[in-house]
Amino acid sequence: MKLTTALSASLFAVTAAMIPRAAMADVSPLDLVGPIADYKIYVSENLEVLVTDTKAFTDAVKAGDLEKAKSLFGSTRMSYEAIEPIAELFSDLDGSIDSRADDHEKAEKDPEFTGFHRIEYGLFAENSTKDLAPFADKLMADVTELNKRITDLTLPPEKVVGGAAALMEEVAATKISGEEDRYSHTDLWDFKANFDGSRKIFELVRPLVEKDDSAFVIKVSGNFDKVDKTLAKYKTEQGYELYDKLTDDDRAVLAAAVNTLAEDLSTLRGKLGLN
Amino acid sequence: MATDETKLITTRRGLLFGAGVAGSALAAGLTSAHSVQKQGEQVADAPVSDKTQERQSFYGPHQAGIVTPRPAAGMIASFHVLAQTPDDVERLFRTLSGRIAFLMQGGTPPELDDKLPPADSGLLGPVVPPDNLTITVSLGSSFFDQRDWLAPYKPLRLSRMKAFRNDALDADLCHGDLALQISSNTPDTNIHALRDILKNLPDLMVLRWKQEGSVPVLPPKPDGTHESARNFLGFRDGSANPDATDAPLMDKIVWVAEESDEPDWARGGTYQAVRIIRNFVERWDRTPLGEQERIIGRKKPTGAPYGGHTEHDVPDYSKDPDGAITPLDAHIRLANPRTKQSDSNLILRRPFNYSNGVSKSGQLEQGLLFICYQADLEKGFIAVQKRLDGEPLEEYIKPIGGGFFFTPPGPRDEADFVGRTLLEAAGHAVTRLKS
Repeated sequence: MKLTTALSASLFAVTAAMIPRAAMADVSPLDLVGPIADYKIYVSENLEVLVTDTKAFTDAVKAGDLEKAKSLFGSTRMSYEAIEPIAELFSDLDGSIDSRADDHEKAEKDPEFTGFHRIEYGLFAENSTKDLAPFADKLMADVTELNKRITDLTLPPEKVVGGAAALMEEVAATKISGEEDRYSHTDLWDFKANFDGSRKIFELVRPLVEKDDSAFVIKVSGNFDKVDKTLAKYKTEQGYELYDKLTDDDRAVLAAAVNTLAEDLSTLRGKLGLN
Repeated sequence: MATDETKLITTRRGLLFGAGVAGSALAAGLTSAHSVQKQGEQVADAPVSDKTQERQSFYGPHQAGIVTPRPAAGMIASFHVLAQTPDDVERLFRTLSGRIAFLMQGGTPPELDDKLPPADSGLLGPVVPPDNLTITVSLGSSFFDQRDWLAPYKPLRLSRMKAFRNDALDADLCHGDLALQISSNTPDTNIHALRDILKNLPDLMVLRWKQEGSVPVLPPKPDGTHESARNFLGFRDGSANPDATDAPLMDKIVWVAEESDEPDWARGGTYQAVRIIRNFVERWDRTPLGEQERIIGRKKPTGAPYGGHTEHDVPDYSKDPDGAITPLDAHIRLANPRTKQSDSNLILRRPFNYSNGVSKSGQLEQGLLFICYQADLEKGFIAVQKRLDGEPLEEYIKPIGGGFFFTPPGPRDEADFVGRTLLEAAGHAVTRLKS
């Protein structure tokens, strides 16, 4: 193979054309008021469900009803996962509600390890509700506090719009491996909620992007549909199959959809003129 | 770009230029040669190289990165391919070829609105240098098996790698639908290329595993000769490699020939075998030198075979039938017994050393990212490895990953792309781009 000095102008033309130059939509900040207000309602509705579900879940834990607590774990988390970009705005609460063992130096034994995954560890890894009551009380208090704080919060538009991509980044970086719900393997419930939460944001701002970049809207919708179709294969009466039922091929399909959605949705803020 | 063009140097001239600099440093005094600090150099200044404009051509009957002299940094990245339909596979091949063409050529990525993520990671700066980059695309057995419309066109000898006797294969480091061999002068250039490809093809392929490696860099020799690089066992690796500049020889050993029984589309391609071979280096370093040399079959300092003076001396085993000079189970003798029959088992090796971290037992996780190319996978790597099964070296090595792939022929020109001949063979009408 010889070294060559040939520099091809046409090569650059072809390559540059392959990278979609975003058509910047003509969007004024006022156009976003409606979608953000609608999203606030979506967040409030989810928080309401979260408070109710967490109450039932933590009551079951405290009552020592192991089977009931286990059965409520996956569904209870969904309303939290759907609004994670907003819930995460309060890092203290996100840490105490949703941190994982490996966020803590002493892992499962770390006293700072609380919240959903600490209770999950007790229920599924230790197969017991023993000593979980204080964690249940703390989770309920944290969720109640989260609801209160978000009710009083004005949602920053860039956090809302950026949330669509942020949810996909979360899935891509730390969920597709099945490490989130490592004791219960209810990861597909989380996935579904993350995707729905991301899609909600996309759908709310979709009319603002559609007229200038319909190809983008079609591509993103297509990938959300692909995810829905793949997850639907694992739907059960109660919710979803356990994560280890996910085939390697379907995992790759989900990973590719997540990566593509993350790439595409990373341009959403810019397309709407947000920094 | 005009200034870049004038800076373009070939490898050989680069070496001579490098020799001049090193030579004058030596002339200035041997004792100070190791402690030169140029005036004004700051701690965090980027290291300087005169090789960043070295450029390989993506186009030709064969893909680049096979008979291309091995640069200092290499990587294998293995992917799961999502593209299923002929249209999607064409988009995969075209997009991949477009990115490779740009990355190997170098240039300025498009500038986007600053409210958008940038088109390029920027880790090599606003102008991407070629830096001697090659990206070689290869296809695994599963790529054909999992697409009914491609299955009839699978190269005849392409199989899913099976474990050999000494293997302890880790499923997370094995196989793949598509493999990229990325090599260049620096690890950063390889990483930049990988990130570019991941960013541009997220819906078509998903990364499964990757292994990076390196080759120790040597100072140029005054007489202009070259020597084989050393592996992490401290031995020269590649001394017996066939001459990659000998085109007729490569046609015989490496490239699928016109008269071969392989599918027509595969002509000019080659089989790629990848093996991640862990070396137990602590134990090796605690093995007597004489034993190390008997296991390999070469003298460690020079790389010469027993009875020879340089690494390129050819051992004559016909005069040593009982292994009195070179043990019968020495690595080089089993790998290449140099008989008439073993002539058909020759392969072209292009390996890199890898170092990954520390094992649970506190030992170094390092070894050889073995890569080789051959026109016939069964007569090539598989036959050689079967001869090596049970060799004394096995006590010090453990293959843990890798896979078998087929490397399609190269794109003829800028209107062409890697994989076109396969798509056309499968009856998919491919429109030629105007160059």
